[in-house]
Amino acid sequence: MKDTLKLTNDINEVPRLGEWIDSLGDRLGLLPDKVFNLNLALEEAVVNVMNYAYPGQNHMPIYLTVDDNDGFLRFVLEDEGVPFDPTQTEAPDITLDADKRPIGGLGIFLVNQLMSKVSYEYKDKRNRLIMIG
Amino acid sequence: MTLEISENNGTMLGVLSGRLDTAAAPQFARDLQPLMDNADKHIVLDCSNLEFISSSGLRLFLSLRKQTISQNGDVTIKGVSPEVKQVFTITGFYSLFNFE
Repeated sequence: MKDTLKLTNDINEVPRLGEWIDSLGDRLGLLPDKVFNLNLALEEAVVNVMNYAYPGQNHMPIYLTVDDNDGFLRFVLEDEGVPFDPTQTEAPDITLDADKRPIGGLGIFLVNQLMSKVSYEYKDKRNRLIMIG
Repeated sequence: MTLEISENNGTMLGVLSGRLDTAAAPQFARDLQPLMDNADKHIVLDCSNLEFISSSGLRLFLSLRKQTISQNGDVTIKGVSPEVKQVFTITGFYSLFNFE
């Protein structure tokens, strides 16, 4: 099974991503906690692209493809924006007290925590984040 | 996503329902303002009907917690589902709040 969701860089499209993942969970018979984790990891990855890939530009494309070969779910997130490798971002210090914790920086950390493998490549003028879930 | 706020004997109660995803976060931030304005009090967030949270929502929980620290209030979270609790745990947020 292979399926692609096309989004634009608008956070109001995030619920459409959630519906797509829920539908994927139904079609593949995934357990609710698996569907929850996919919702979270993929939202974080997609929102990161929405926020940073296309500075100052609206209605720009984002593609999320799933492939379920061999019992593994392989997601490829692609955009045509500024080259950026999110796998190189520094992990936040999650042991800090509340008054010292910075307000951001958790998105990519969550992707790495929830997906079993995450890799990045820049190919054909596209950022490609490959996530095995 | 909704947040209903009430006050009882000096305790502020916020009841969250629905999905707190990135699209819902800006409205939730506005809805949270009455609790931010009462950060010197004991605040209870009932998350029994909170179906989902992402980092955009966690960020707002942290903002509220920071506000209560600076004003000597506190935040208690109750009723979280195992899935939502896991998000607090893997991000280190679990130790920042009181849980019931």
